[in-house]
Amino acid sequence: MSLAEERPPGATRAVSAGARAREVAARVHTVEAPAEAPRYQGLVTRTIAFALDCAVINVVAIAVALAVGLAASVLDLPSGVEKGLVAVGGLAWFFWSAGYFVVSWATAGETPGDRLLHIRVCDADDFTVLSVRRSILRLVFLTLAAIPLFAGFLPILFDDRRRGLHDMLAGSVVVGTDSA
Amino acid sequence: MATVALRPVVGAVRLGGRAVEGATLATVDVVLGSRAATEIADRVVDSALVRHALTRALEGPLVEEIAREVVRHRVLERTTDAVLSGDAVDAIVERALEQGIVERAAGRVLDGPELERVVIAALESPAMERIVARAIDSRLVDEAVARLLESEDLWVVVEEIAQSPAVTDAITQQSMGFADQVADGVRMRSRNADAWIERAARRALRRPPAPLPPEAGEG
Repeated sequence: MSLAEERPPGATRAVSAGARAREVAARVHTVEAPAEAPRYQGLVTRTIAFALDCAVINVVAIAVALAVGLAASVLDLPSGVEKGLVAVGGLAWFFWSAGYFVVSWATAGETPGDRLLHIRVCDADDFTVLSVRRSILRLVFLTLAAIPLFAGFLPILFDDRRRGLHDMLAGSVVVGTDSA
Repeated sequence: MATVALRPVVGAVRLGGRAVEGATLATVDVVLGSRAATEIADRVVDSALVRHALTRALEGPLVEEIAREVVRHRVLERTTDAVLSGDAVDAIVERALEQGIVERAAGRVLDGPELERVVIAALESPAMERIVARAIDSRLVDEAVARLLESEDLWVVVEEIAQSPAVTDAITQQSMGFADQVADGVRMRSRNADAWIERAARRALRRPPAPLPPEAGEG
């Protein structure tokens, strides 16, 4: 008697539903491997997309900071509370910036800036969307690559798959999404 | 004296003449009423002689003479006046309306090519251009436009049209088309720049060109 036969009918249905859900999730989060050779994206295109994303992040952050600052000026809060608000604001900005990239890479595989430039971040081997963990790692490595005067991005110019240091460490590539 | 003596004779002669005249007329009436007279008239009318005479008369100056006389004596005017002054015209019109002649005539005019020709000729005529120009220049148009702009219904219609899905979709598509064009331009130039900067970097470091063909910039 197999394992499925030993289970009650309700448990069998639950297992089937779970398998079905995993199948659907895998299909949704899998980027279909391009039939043609992947078109790896270069430094300029990726820089433009990154700049657009930075603009989006900062415009939203500035708008929120303005609104909170105006409210704080009207409420005449004590200086201690204001310092606390600044600290919370800085923390919020950090999480907003990190979440923007991590959520975009781990869900759609592309940020709004990437979408405008028709590029996508994906796994270097099977071209699937990165997991949340690898997205976080990629963001950390990207930050590290920028620290030595952006030297970590120079390999994009020489690597055959146009990968930067953060791509190599996170096992990711950036490919084009539009047809050639 | 002799005149007096002849009076009975003269009276007798006159009486005799009247009798002869009456007898003659009675004879003529009998003759005209007879079948033979009818037959004779038919034969005469059907004869080649009458047709020949009629043809000659129509070919000759008689027709023109008759026409001149008709005009001179205002025969047509008098006849027309007599017809129009009576009830005949009303009766004719009434009969025509009852029998649907007006509808048939209107249908024939509308279906036929004559109306189209007339309308085209009218539209292409200089007179129509002048009429239209005068109409546009007239105060009537200004007044109509002013009233139209003052009417609430117009702005309701304009608002409805502006908010209609067709118009909003068209505006959205136009905006998206422009944004797509800009994005396409940015993509193309950025990929050209990718290829260019990679070639420059590889040349600077004396490295071989990239094995994979770069992006759209190089086709």
